[in-house]
Amino acid sequence: MTARGPGIAIQNLSLTLGRTEVLSGVDMTVAPGSIHALVGPNGGGKSSLIRCLLGQMPHRGTVSLNWPARPGRIGYVPQALQFDAGLPMTVGDFLGTLDGNRPGFLKPRRATRDLVEAQLARVGMAGKSGRRMGALSGGERQRVLMAQALEPAPDLLILDEPMSALDESGGAIFAEVMQSLRRDGVTVLWIEHDLLAVRRLADHVTGLARRVIFDGQPEAMLDADRVLDLFSQRSAVA
Amino acid sequence: MSFEAFRQWVQSLAEAGWLPASLGWGFAVNALLAGLITGPMLGSLGTLVVIRRHAFFAEAVGHAALTGVAIGILAGEPYTGPYGALFGYCILFTLALEYLRGRTGLSADTLIGVFLSMSLALGASILLILAGRINVHILENVLFGSILTVNGTDLAVLAIVGIAVTALSAVLYNRFMISSFHPALAQVRGLPVRTLDYLFVVLVTVVTVAALKIVGAVLVGALLVIPAAAARIVARSLAGFWWLSVGIATFATLTGILIPMEFDLPVPSGAAIILVAGTCFLICTTLRALMPAFRGDTA
Repeated sequence: MTARGPGIAIQNLSLTLGRTEVLSGVDMTVAPGSIHALVGPNGGGKSSLIRCLLGQMPHRGTVSLNWPARPGRIGYVPQALQFDAGLPMTVGDFLGTLDGNRPGFLKPRRATRDLVEAQLARVGMAGKSGRRMGALSGGERQRVLMAQALEPAPDLLILDEPMSALDESGGAIFAEVMQSLRRDGVTVLWIEHDLLAVRRLADHVTGLARRVIFDGQPEAMLDADRVLDLFSQRSAVA
Repeated sequence: MSFEAFRQWVQSLAEAGWLPASLGWGFAVNALLAGLITGPMLGSLGTLVVIRRHAFFAEAVGHAALTGVAIGILAGEPYTGPYGALFGYCILFTLALEYLRGRTGLSADTLIGVFLSMSLALGASILLILAGRINVHILENVLFGSILTVNGTDLAVLAIVGIAVTALSAVLYNRFMISSFHPALAQVRGLPVRTLDYLFVVLVTVVTVAALKIVGAVLVGALLVIPAAAARIVARSLAGFWWLSVGIATFATLTGILIPMEFDLPVPSGAAIILVAGTCFLICTTLRALMPAFRGDTA
């Protein structure tokens, strides 16, 4: 199937925050319709790279999205939110306010309610729209964030550590979602710490620690030496 | 029905004993009408103020209004309603504050603290210059609200602001919520986050100025915060939160206006309103402490 997602071309991307060089001369390409994992140590610039890609951070170098036709939809799963746990907002309120324009304090339209239920079913949380966001476990929270990013159906999906708190069944659902995105030709850029999951699900992996340490097929790249090298970079950076 | 006819109708109902006797006075009907617009408007916008953590900002705008009044009187506007200077100065104050937020490296509360103090200093200076020209007691009305001084102009301003703000905040409610909940996510989903930030502070500002006469500069911020805070304590969904906040704000405003009139208490309306709202807040905290169902974290 032809990819409906964009290709991403990053050339000579550098980013300095204060006096700290976060990214330095990063070159990287993401193929249209591929699942591209970004791995590396904390502070290695993975999240910053995404913020540059989303145009949320001034940077040097170029980041371009090459859409097949006209620009499509971008979905985004942020890192597990720092929720204001006391906020009186249910899962249904959260997804409903994103889906519809009817003010969140009014009863949502039938169509919106059905859509929210379908979104939740897709991530294995059917029937939980009445739960308070603040009362969710870390894994449930990540499922809701995932559900949010899949509606409206994205052409490019950006995931920032979407699995860090998922349990086994959550992981299985996540794998299923990734497979269906691949079938649909969606481009996925995926920050992940779980290297086994990357090896199982990704088409391509880039090791990032301020600069690109390695880049290639997961089976070939994720061997002990390279991974050791990647995660030892922080001491060299600091 | 014209406003004049409506007032006479209410007055006749009061004389016939159908409504509280104090509504037999024209000014009381004005005040009550003002309350009927102010309460729901502040209660509704207050939920967003609390979600967006703008409580201190709302207080600061109220204090800026004091300076706005001073500038207006200095510029020769009528001291009963210097709306030109009020809106002008307060919106300027707000926009400058919002512009500098995120550009100074200071946290929002520090920046607001600085602006609030500068504005108060300016206001106090101008008022002292004016002290010889005006009766300083009118300041009590500005500071703490007065139902006696609500006139047709005030009601017109309130009605226009009320319609505009209610319409805008209803249409944009979800967007305001999401953009403060997770700005980066909102931006990816195509929301103009910065524009919404500016628009929101302007909404809070015009609402504050419009409600000044009835609640007073010092206390108007409190009516944006207390009902929503009380509702947040016990509500479990967005709908519950909003309706309860609107309910408490409306109840507090109406009883705060009526009780001092009915019982002939020399209490400014703003103070009475906030005391009622504060009581509701205390009741909500007690409910939550005593009844686990209200704690919400079990859901």
